[in-house]
Amino acid sequence: MDLFTAITLAVFLPFIMAGILPAAEKVLKNRIGWYATATAFLSLLLVARAVPSVANGENIQGSIPWLPSLGIELSFYGDGLSIMFGLIVSGVGILIMAYSNEYMSKREDLSRYYRQLLMFMGSMLGMVFSSNIIQLFIFWELTSITSFMLIGYWRNRPVSVYGATKSLLITASGGIFMLAGFLVLNIITGTFDIAAILQNESMIETIKGHEFFLFALVLILIGAAAKSAQGPFYIWLPNAMEAPTPVSAFLHSATMVKAGIYLVARIHPIFSGTDAWFILVSGLGIITMLAAGFLAFRQKDIKGILAYSTISQLAYMMAMYGYTTYQYPGIGVAAATFHLLNHATFKACLFLIAGIVAHETATRDITKMGGLRKDMPVTFIIGSIAALAMAGVPPLNGFLSKEMFYESSLEMGHLLGGPLEYLIPAAAVLGGVFTFAYSIRFIDGIFLGKRRSEHLPKHMHEPSLIMLAPPAFLAILVILIGIFPSVAVHYIIEPAVSGILLQEVHLHVSLWHGFTAALMMTIITFIAGIALYTKYDAIAAWQDRINVRYPWFSINYAYDRIVNGAQGKSAAFAAVMQPGPIKPYLVALLLLLLVLGAIPAMLVATTIIPADLNFDIPLYEGILLGLIVIASLGAAILRKYLHAIIAVSAVGYLVSLVFIYLQAPDLAMTQILVETLFTIIFLLVILKIPQTFRENLTRSVLARDLLISSAVGITVLVLLLNSTQGIAAPFESIAYYFIENSVPLARGHNMVNVILVDFRGYDTLGEIVVLCLAGLGVYNLIKSRSDSK
Amino acid sequence: MTTLITKTVSKACVPIIILFSISLLFAGHDYPGGGFIGGVMFASAISLLYVVFGLKYIDSIYSYQWDKWFASGLLLASLTGFGAMLFGYNFLRSSYLLASLPLAGDIKLLSTTLFDIGVYLVVIGSLLYVFKGTGEDE
Repeated sequence: MDLFTAITLAVFLPFIMAGILPAAEKVLKNRIGWYATATAFLSLLLVARAVPSVANGENIQGSIPWLPSLGIELSFYGDGLSIMFGLIVSGVGILIMAYSNEYMSKREDLSRYYRQLLMFMGSMLGMVFSSNIIQLFIFWELTSITSFMLIGYWRNRPVSVYGATKSLLITASGGIFMLAGFLVLNIITGTFDIAAILQNESMIETIKGHEFFLFALVLILIGAAAKSAQGPFYIWLPNAMEAPTPVSAFLHSATMVKAGIYLVARIHPIFSGTDAWFILVSGLGIITMLAAGFLAFRQKDIKGILAYSTISQLAYMMAMYGYTTYQYPGIGVAAATFHLLNHATFKACLFLIAGIVAHETATRDITKMGGLRKDMPVTFIIGSIAALAMAGVPPLNGFLSKEMFYESSLEMGHLLGGPLEYLIPAAAVLGGVFTFAYSIRFIDGIFLGKRRSEHLPKHMHEPSLIMLAPPAFLAILVILIGIFPSVAVHYIIEPAVSGILLQEVHLHVSLWHGFTAALMMTIITFIAGIALYTKYDAIAAWQDRINVRYPWFSINYAYDRIVNGAQGKSAAFAAVMQPGPIKPYLVALLLLLLVLGAIPAMLVATTIIPADLNFDIPLYEGILLGLIVIASLGAAILRKYLHAIIAVSAVGYLVSLVFIYLQAPDLAMTQILVETLFTIIFLLVILKIPQTFRENLTRSVLARDLLISSAVGITVLVLLLNSTQGIAAPFESIAYYFIENSVPLARGHNMVNVILVDFRGYDTLGEIVVLCLAGLGVYNLIKSRSDSK
Repeated sequence: MTTLITKTVSKACVPIIILFSISLLFAGHDYPGGGFIGGVMFASAISLLYVVFGLKYIDSIYSYQWDKWFASGLLLASLTGFGAMLFGYNFLRSSYLLASLPLAGDIKLLSTTLFDIGVYLVVIGSLLYVFKGTGEDE
């Protein structure tokens, strides 16, 4: 199996396995989680096969035609960046699915849970390996949809539904902006293939000089920011914490929220090296980093703390990917990529620990915890390792990438000069201080201090090995990458950075490299962080007070106003558009007919009434028409339903006589039959309703109705008079085509029928679909009425 | 309306109407008729039964599920369309076969006839579905 096939299989395997999962569940019952774990493991193996060759600089590329006429094909591209994401997604996937075996109660709908997890994993793999941007968009939205389903896994909890809806509204609509950006990119380049753009330097130059450059960049960045919870779009991530904790660990810390970061890294070669890139990406990153780090203080939910820390950590990566100047387009790329990998390890670990703690203490409120180190020493150690890695303490992996973050911030500041030379490193340190404070909070609040026994169950103990092993594995990775970074750097980070910078890169990462400015910044971070931690509760209380005093000072407030307002507006709109009684609908339809009929007629009119009209009507024809007029008047004037219906039927039968007179037996027969049937149905209906019109018609309503109906009547009359001459004269009749061709082409002598079933068969198919739907609609309307009684 | 006269007359008439509706269906391609008219005529015949004998009585003999009629009609009409695609033509492309049989003489087999049968079933099914739904409502 060549590597392209392996990658394709790695993407589609989870989907296939999700498809046959319900069947497997019949056999495996409660052990179905191991089936999903095995699937993730297979995907990991398939992705891992590509590591050596990609590390040697040989990228994987290939495609399968899909919609060739639109230039859309199923094409996969595996460079270092994709492979790194592929490894994170499938690797963390294994741990999450294994952990879920114990975390999820056997009473839950396990089939749905694992099916959605597998579909998510497949979509995520598909997204990172997509070469075609339309395909990337499809997988991107698929991750949003599966995330929506997994956040709302507990469907009967209103908070879950709220969180799920919020995440879908924000991430999926961000995706639409991204699609628009991709289309702009396509307008500039004429291709949908990212790999083709990346491999073509002159094309990248064209994009950077193009007038739509900023337009495309902003649109794509909106999608990335919405997905990675950056800037004002951050609000969905805290609410997404209502998902089962393994889902939060998988989607909302390690993988899906990094999709936006992936996109930024993917388009980095195309857009970086410009001022706009630095201002937008780094600006967004730095602001989000500081704001989210600060807002983490008032979180009492342990998963809430982790959510805000995830937003802030993702913002680090954003800021670093944004560091760019014309000469040095990728200052922070290596640091950001390394931090991305490290964050996936320690943050997933922290979520799994949070899951264990919540499982054992039956609460997620950090103010009710404390002193758990005695009950759960192993959990305490693993959790502390991960939290210290997040805080950037040596010799853990977070320390290394935090140092690199400081270094790149210093370098960027130095290159820009002016006040920014100090402001950018200062912002970086401040972000680090916040991170340090909430990381310590996580350890201190849960495991250290005095045990608040009044809130906690009496017996708490270590979880089983199945729940402990995945976070333990991640904690070991955290230590190993920290002490021996060279393996991960050589096989994963260097190829990924090469993929972004489009050139061979060699990195040297080590724990100790002398008393550098970055090390000084780290030491400042620790001192300031400890100092800040002593004021932690005071700051949290102050934030709470602000929140109570100025409730409108939050993005969530705006979101709720917009969403709830939209519901109100829709209801008001629906009340206008669908008032209930039939008459307004009829008025709308007739007015539309007027617009559609009268306006074009006016535009092409030469003579409204054709000059050569023949008013010489035979007597019996005149009698027939006179009777029709009388019956129509009766239908309009009679006050009792029964009488009115008989009058309407009389019109119908008389019209069928006209058809016979005009030698149209098909029409006449149809008219008689339909009239008969509908008279019977009418009679069935009026037995159940009041026998007399009750509506009080005022003069003005009557005048309006009369005006509309006569206008429609006159329009139809004029159109009919002109159907063969007058204003219709410029148009040739299509009747002759059917007259000439119905026998030779369709072997039918009844032209009406030939048109219905052959020449216009498509129309007829549409009509019978409408007939079926109308039947179902009427039936259910009647049924719902009798049910509600 | 449940007099002896109407009952007797409708018993005699309904089979004739139904046979006529079938003949309309098949004659439709060359003479007045077709799936739609035939279907409405069939529906009128059955509604005559419903009105004269009452829904409950008819249901006690045989409970027609008209929704299945229109569903299968729609399926048949659509499949006719897809049938053309099996032979590499566009959706709903019609075709015919002229044949000469020993006793029946020259006949023509049209793919559109199948389509028309689909229309026939849909018209019958949906009309009587509504009819029955209206009649059942208390």
